[in-house]
Amino acid sequence: MKKLVNDPANFVPEFMAGVIAANSDLLEAIPEFQLIKRKNVDASKVAIVQGSGSGHEPAHVMAVGPGMLTAACQGPVFAAPPVDACYETIKSVATDAGVLVLVNNYQGDRMAWDMACEMAEAEGIRLKQFIINDDVAVQDSLYTVGRRGVAGNFFVMKACGALAETGASLDEVYAVAERVNANVRTMGLALTSCIPPAKGTPIFDIGDDEMEVGVGIHGEPGRERTKIKPADEITEILYKAVQSDLPFSSGDRVAMMVNGLGGTPPAELYVIYNKAAKLAAETGLTIARNYVGEYCTAIEMAGCSLTMLKLDSQLEELLAAPAQTACRIF
Amino acid sequence: MPTLNVAQIEQTLDVTCDTVIRNEQYFSDLDGLAGDGDFGTSLATGFKVIKAELPGMDKSAVGAMLLKLSMLCSKHVGGSSGPIWGTGFMKAAFVSKGLEEVTYDQLTQMVGAAVEGIMARGGAVRGDKTLLDALIPIHEKMQEMDGSDLGAVLAAVTAEADKAIDETRTLVAHRGRASQVGARSANTPDPGIVGVATILYDWCKHYGVDYKPQAAELAR
Repeated sequence: MKKLVNDPANFVPEFMAGVIAANSDLLEAIPEFQLIKRKNVDASKVAIVQGSGSGHEPAHVMAVGPGMLTAACQGPVFAAPPVDACYETIKSVATDAGVLVLVNNYQGDRMAWDMACEMAEAEGIRLKQFIINDDVAVQDSLYTVGRRGVAGNFFVMKACGALAETGASLDEVYAVAERVNANVRTMGLALTSCIPPAKGTPIFDIGDDEMEVGVGIHGEPGRERTKIKPADEITEILYKAVQSDLPFSSGDRVAMMVNGLGGTPPAELYVIYNKAAKLAAETGLTIARNYVGEYCTAIEMAGCSLTMLKLDSQLEELLAAPAQTACRIF
Repeated sequence: MPTLNVAQIEQTLDVTCDTVIRNEQYFSDLDGLAGDGDFGTSLATGFKVIKAELPGMDKSAVGAMLLKLSMLCSKHVGGSSGPIWGTGFMKAAFVSKGLEEVTYDQLTQMVGAAVEGIMARGGAVRGDKTLLDALIPIHEKMQEMDGSDLGAVLAAVTAEADKAIDETRTLVAHRGRASQVGARSANTPDPGIVGVATILYDWCKHYGVDYKPQAAELAR
């Protein structure tokens, strides 16, 4: 394993400290609970929190900032954060307007957040919990009952974050989470495995000429293992799986995301986008917004996922609203 | 009527830690018969942390101590046992929130809340061959008794857990890792039930309550 790490056991706290060091104007940390929160939380607005395993950056702690999450906590790489961290995350930003807890559908995350929410409610904190499950690849996987929560999470965070900034109520922000999740679909594909720093070895074996279709963001199996194909054929597989599931149909306005899983160069993602945009045009879709880059990764896995969200006028406005997070590339 | 204060409950928890730590290998061996063989280690790993942190915990109320215990359990006990046991302590903590001592009726309510919480968390019901097959009859027995003699209550609930070992032995597990091996789980004791019974039997020994174990796993 060749990685830019010191002691692998300190990998998560060290990267989080770096995020804070680079964004000390916006963010602060509570290192004991591996949580990052916004400075100057506005008590009149709904707070939005999330927390999951590390290894998916920029999700989830790097999505904290005005217009996105209010706070987030990290577990170890690919493992749910502990209950006390989830509880402290809620407590650290609990506002009069309430807290929306966004949870990606994995058993470990759900149990930790369920308990944390019950504890916070017993303390009189007003909250609602919402489960994100946008992955079309498999019905049940290694770590889930039901579909996994993957890159579509970005759109839930973005829309909820933007709406919360307007001073909307907890019920209204929750309703938007529901609407995004109901209209977003994702399918992923891996060319290589990935190496959690503390493990030091790849989490699954895959041949040089193979790909895993429908892979999860922890390397968990998807629909099938096949011989690798040209990018356009790969794009067709991903697009058909996503498009047919909702289904997206002629006349729909959509947001399209081609998300890199960590080990694929931006240029390759644009090769995928080029074909996906053509396929969308053939279906009669209008791509109102596009996102090509890394939003939800699996450490250094090579591969990508394709996400589409069916838009309405409110969602389109919310996606266009400004946000400021740790991933600043301007 | 007798009550239990924070210090008394702390002592009982400390005895529980010793029981779990001492039986690490035995509980894992039992789990290996039909499950994945990690139950003893998962539980002991967490209870070693709990034992170490127990003296420094918030003792302002029974609920405060149990809530901290719940968080440690969820964090340090591995596998599904962490959230299951953590939920039990959390629900008991809600009932005993702000109480410096608990009455027998409150103790019974704490056990009842723990049972309900565990059922909701794991989706198991009576007869699924989980620790609930010990906890549910324990709660029922506590409701039947008046609690004027806590020693008699301890002997009675230990007997319920003891009985549950043999009553569920022939059942096929419906929850947890053991459910994935189907019929192979029949004729093996459930490690969760044995765990509960062993803890209670050790309480009997610690508090000088006379109890004659029936199941082979307790009488060993």
